[in-house]
Amino acid sequence: MKGLDLEKFIIDFFHAYQCKVEKQDKGIIKVELTEELDKAIMNRPFYWHYMESTGQIGIPATLTLITDPTKRNGTGEYVDIGSPRIQQMFSLISKREKYTKLFQEIKTDINTPLYPWLLVNMKICYKGKQKKEELISLGVQLINGKVIVNMMDELEPLALKKHISDHCYTLSPIITLTSAYKRIEKIILDYVEKQPKEWARETMEIQREEIALLNQFYEDDPENAIYKKEKEELNQRFTPEISLEVVSGGIVYLRENFPEQLISSSGAT
Amino acid sequence: MDFIKMKTDDVFIEELEKRLENDGPFSTYDLFSLAYEAEQTKMVPSFSGLRSLDFLPHMEFLDHQLMTAKETIEKMNGRAILADEVGLGKTIEAGLILKEYMLRGLVNNALILVPASLVNQWVEELRQKFYIPAYSERKNHTWNPNAIIVSSLDTAKRPPHREKILENEYDFVIIDEAHKLKNEKTKNYQFVRQIKKKYCLLLTATPIQNDLMEIFNLIAILKPGHLGDMATFKQKYAGKSGKQQADAYLKRLIERVMIRNTREQTDLQPSNRIIETVWIDFTEKEREVYRQLENLPSIDDMFTKMTLLREICSSREACYLSLKNLQTTREANSEISKAMALIEGIAEHSKAKKTVELLKNIGDEKVIIFTEYRASQLYLQWYLQQHGITSVPFRGGFKRGKKDWMIQLFRDNAQVLIATEAGAEGINLQFCHHLINYDLPWNPMKIEQRIGRIHRFGQSNDVKIYNMGIKDTIEEHIIQVLTKKIRLFENVIGELDAILSELEIPDLEKEVETIYLESDSLGEAKIKIDHLMSIVENMADEEIVAGDAE
Repeated sequence: MKGLDLEKFIIDFFHAYQCKVEKQDKGIIKVELTEELDKAIMNRPFYWHYMESTGQIGIPATLTLITDPTKRNGTGEYVDIGSPRIQQMFSLISKREKYTKLFQEIKTDINTPLYPWLLVNMKICYKGKQKKEELISLGVQLINGKVIVNMMDELEPLALKKHISDHCYTLSPIITLTSAYKRIEKIILDYVEKQPKEWARETMEIQREEIALLNQFYEDDPENAIYKKEKEELNQRFTPEISLEVVSGGIVYLRENFPEQLISSSGAT
Repeated sequence: MDFIKMKTDDVFIEELEKRLENDGPFSTYDLFSLAYEAEQTKMVPSFSGLRSLDFLPHMEFLDHQLMTAKETIEKMNGRAILADEVGLGKTIEAGLILKEYMLRGLVNNALILVPASLVNQWVEELRQKFYIPAYSERKNHTWNPNAIIVSSLDTAKRPPHREKILENEYDFVIIDEAHKLKNEKTKNYQFVRQIKKKYCLLLTATPIQNDLMEIFNLIAILKPGHLGDMATFKQKYAGKSGKQQADAYLKRLIERVMIRNTREQTDLQPSNRIIETVWIDFTEKEREVYRQLENLPSIDDMFTKMTLLREICSSREACYLSLKNLQTTREANSEISKAMALIEGIAEHSKAKKTVELLKNIGDEKVIIFTEYRASQLYLQWYLQQHGITSVPFRGGFKRGKKDWMIQLFRDNAQVLIATEAGAEGINLQFCHHLINYDLPWNPMKIEQRIGRIHRFGQSNDVKIYNMGIKDTIEEHIIQVLTKKIRLFENVIGELDAILSELEIPDLEKEVETIYLESDSLGEAKIKIDHLMSIVENMADEEIVAGDAE
């Protein structure tokens, strides 16, 4: 797990949503919400409804969030990684910021082509008697079909914008989105196939044992409603399952030398 | 991989294509990468371990609580009886387990059934300690199938709630004070058996009160078949023969579904229990009443007699009421009338007087008084008021809101809380560390429950327990049995559980009742009880020896 710098996350979050953010002291952040964000996280629909129906202009709330435990008794809302406020912020961006279309920012005078990439951030859930998750970020170039892993990390040093830079132009994909996606899916399925499967076997072993016990208990009464219920419950709890879920992704237009440019640019300095 | 079910995601790529066609909406890189960071933070990277601890930085768990949560999830696959001794934090353990499953995405809804007086407390603890958005099902009874709901079992089992609950499928079910489910013939039990659930925790401090069938029934909720079928189980384990051998096997099986931490095992530095018996002499007038009751010729049933004697040791009012009832059910009886007249001649009860002295000595600190009789409760409240001591009453029959209100009054405004037996269950009063047993019931479990209200996790002071006893009365006998024979206040209650179930004593209180009913005189009953208690005493000694040898 990557450790999250909560204070930085909060500041970045509200900045990205165009709120006025003010760091008051170490561990104390004051935020003037925008109307949009107030509606999204303050949970006061009646206020906004009332304001709108009476033709008034609502005033978005101001939040003071405290992340430093030694200051938790100050005026403001103490938050830590597990608190509902942070979880709410997590789920808000997970839900809203799932799709993107970005262009690498390039300062240039000559015509520069940008290559289309499909970016997919995939979560793999292994569900047995317990559950484990894995997050994999992959990219496929839509012209030559090249695939790279840890795409998000590769993108990190780049400047990426919603609009294309001057003198740049995009190349049209040769590979369709659907077949590129199929390709990514196949790579992940191959990967999953190669993973150890003890967890699944163990789970099925438990399932078998538990059902045997249950059968014994209801030996004389196989039509019993509770018997059927219990059996169904066991199957639900102990059927191993792997599921793939795309948590986010999109189209990114990048320079031809991606991702090598990282090495060459650092080599130049 | 054919034996593992596979699910893929077809929605994403379709949606992306649609958005490209419509030219949006798309996220900025800032927000997009922030969302990715959040996603990474939420990830559960390993099958084992307690991931939830990373999300509960404000909580400090005790080792036995962490161990219990891990064991429940990893070894027992989320179905277990949590049977810690009172006050070691069963609620905390249950909350942690629930949190872990929620974080892992294995639990999305839950049904938590607790005694009515505990509903609010559960909701509060889950919210504050675990950030779990629990809410109590009380006003509109929507039984939202996608929420974390806390309700009382009594409400839940009644129509129309019952039907709504049984329709739904719950990922997680918790039942607090689960010893109430020990009898498979009760409505409670049958209702709980029918709830559809994935994971399930049964919480009880006293998993076995009377006999082993109780544990069979609890386990049948979690894992039917684990102990074989009912008929075989009864045949094998409920009889007396071959019991020792069978028990060892049974114990092993039970260990696979039950976790029981005791104060002794845990590294919890327990606050001490300081026990003091306060002896009181009856005044001559009171003694006269007592003698009159002892010798009531028209009452040949020793149990009734014993009850009257216990009552007069508690308050004039308690005894007077019973006598009055006797008069209405029997023919006019001059002996009873005489006893009643004598009672009317007593100005104040010696025990109440002594209690006021004691309270004044304790000073400003909070005190909880337990009595078995409502009449004594009322009298005491009036009597304390006469002496300038503020008190609030507490009864099991109070509505939930009233209970909460009374506890708040006690905490903020009154020195004393006077509770009757029914009030013992499900209230936490750690802010108080003085307890007066105004009278003692025969059942040691009841006394343990009483003490458990204040001697529990979170109690930072030593707990002082005062047993009020009147000399040369039945109370002296009860106190002697409880303190000397059973050594109730020294021993771990769990041991007593085991001994009583080995002796096949269904409820010690009932046993005593039976002895009185079957005796021709009070003296005979006393001898029989002493005999029984000696057996318990010997077995306890043997257990200790056996325990040392292991």
